[in-house]
Amino acid sequence: MSTELKLKELSKKEDLFTHGHRMCAGCGAPIIVKMVLLAAEHPVIAANATGCLEVSSCISEYTAWKIPWIHTAFENAAATISGVETMYRAYKKKGKMDKDVKFIAFGGDGGTYDIGFQSLSGAMERGHDMLYICYDNGAYMNTGIQRSSATPRGADTTTCPAGSVIPGKPQRRKDLTRIMAAHNIPYAAQAAPSHWLDLMKKVRKALSAGGPTFMNIISPCNRGWRSKTDDAIALSRLAVETCYWPLYEVENGETRLTFKPKTKKPLIEFLKPQGRFKHLFAPENEQRLKQLEADIDAEWQRLLKESAG
Amino acid sequence: MKGNEAAAEAAIHAGCRFYAGYPITPQNEIPEYMSWRMHEAGGVFIQAESELAAVNMVYGAAAAGARAMTSSSSPGISLKQEGISYLAGAELPAVIVNIQRGGPGLGNISGSQADYFQAVKGGGHGDYRMLVYAPNSVQELWGLTMLAFDKADIYRTPVMILADGILGQMMEPLYLTPYKRPKLPEKSWALTGCKGRPAGVIKSLYMGEGELEARNAVLQEKYKVLRKKEVRFESLDTEDAEVVVVAFGIAARLTISAQQRLRKEGFKVGLFRPVSLFPFPEKELSALADRVKRFITIELNAGQMVEDVRLSVCAKGAEVAFYGRPGGATVAPEEIYEKIREVCSAS
Repeated sequence: MSTELKLKELSKKEDLFTHGHRMCAGCGAPIIVKMVLLAAEHPVIAANATGCLEVSSCISEYTAWKIPWIHTAFENAAATISGVETMYRAYKKKGKMDKDVKFIAFGGDGGTYDIGFQSLSGAMERGHDMLYICYDNGAYMNTGIQRSSATPRGADTTTCPAGSVIPGKPQRRKDLTRIMAAHNIPYAAQAAPSHWLDLMKKVRKALSAGGPTFMNIISPCNRGWRSKTDDAIALSRLAVETCYWPLYEVENGETRLTFKPKTKKPLIEFLKPQGRFKHLFAPENEQRLKQLEADIDAEWQRLLKESAG
Repeated sequence: MKGNEAAAEAAIHAGCRFYAGYPITPQNEIPEYMSWRMHEAGGVFIQAESELAAVNMVYGAAAAGARAMTSSSSPGISLKQEGISYLAGAELPAVIVNIQRGGPGLGNISGSQADYFQAVKGGGHGDYRMLVYAPNSVQELWGLTMLAFDKADIYRTPVMILADGILGQMMEPLYLTPYKRPKLPEKSWALTGCKGRPAGVIKSLYMGEGELEARNAVLQEKYKVLRKKEVRFESLDTEDAEVVVVAFGIAARLTISAQQRLRKEGFKVGLFRPVSLFPFPEKELSALADRVKRFITIELNAGQMVEDVRLSVCAKGAEVAFYGRPGGATVAPEEIYEKIREVCSAS
């Protein structure tokens, strides 16, 4: 049964990611998972790479998942769900199953951008009917805030600590959404929990695309971002409004911005409330800050151009 | 100093200037420490995109002649096995630190000793062995890490420090004993650019008729030498012992208080602690079994080293009891005391 994407309607739907998980207060990930599962119109089977989400949602005999859920090692969520989805198709072909089921893999940025990239790329190329969701908090938060290839330039982490020699991470972050779109899959998108309707619409599109799809969702982490516990949604919104995290989709090769701020807010509004960028505001790091702004602006300009075409 | 930091600083002291790692609890302090300390020391720190990448970065650095190290914890060490097998096959020196945690699978993050088999019996493919050292204190972790680099260079072999989450996370006073560099062989095999000398080849692929077997013979010869020359162990009160406890690493540390208590109560209990797990001190244990007929092995696993203890002493008619708890459990000295006492009173 299709539910209209309206708060009143959605509130009547059962939450499929529920109490009992032990994610930190103010974490973006459980909000995202809830939204994703609420948006799904069919039963969902999920695979989950090792990470905060997995560790905190299946402590001892407890689980916060009200769906069939399989945990796998850090690098394997896409491979594991590939196996489940293929078996499902085989069952269907043999007439052993008739239900329509959707398959989702969840991974953090470490398990998606880095160690799980190979299995993700393989799954996309093979063309499984699945949605891969990366909740991107920009570092290995579960193991103690080490840098990942999603960590933005200049951010302070425990393996690229900001000091007098190196002012945080020297490299630019990997543009994974674009890389996934380059797999020529039917649907790839970027979303943010602050823009829930946009996020849920994208989940529906992805799940009905009939092939491999990918969503990259920004997931504020107050522990790693060194921000206030109750700032997750505000920071997610600022990420979007400063164009740090543009909301867009690439559907069958066509890029479309799904949100275009009337006036682009200055990036520092997003950076300032986060301790991981604090050092960038020291006078000696002015250049670094400008470089980060240039990174973000270049990506935004490129998106404007691509979506205008 | 914390065990993990001690291992990292010991590597720096020993002249390690290349470290590649990847996050996994409970060893994160090693890459974190290296991330700033290597810069200070003029070395290289790389956070790889996976354990597989990290160990192969070490493979590359070692081939170029660097003192190179990587570290991880059990699930991550599993991912490094291919690289370790290649290091052994290509005869490259490197140090791998395993801060073990509970398994199998993702297990949990508390300390464990369940990777004994993986470390000493060859977790990767092929007929290879590597030196495996099991420290039982932060001080010993410090010393053995430095020693590991020397032995790796001398024998052109990967060396593993098999510690555990307890030791890695434990803080203890530590004497920063200086590193004394022994006379080491020249790394004439290192790939440093062959201008003015014949080109070198580093590989583990031998396709020619008889080549691979010959290569394996060379490796086996090396392992024979290791077995002869590199056995390390410690024994405590074994001279007059009627019961000998065999334990390595942190399990041995946990056993000391139980053993001392039993001594005070009049039980003649000794402790035999293998420090090198490969080579295993089989001759020494076997010699002990000429006189001692009752052994008990204590491990933080379901029973791994006990197989080697039995191989060493059972032929002499000795009996070997076992007490261990697998991944996820913490063993208290009181439990160990009870178990040893049972063996003592069983006569």
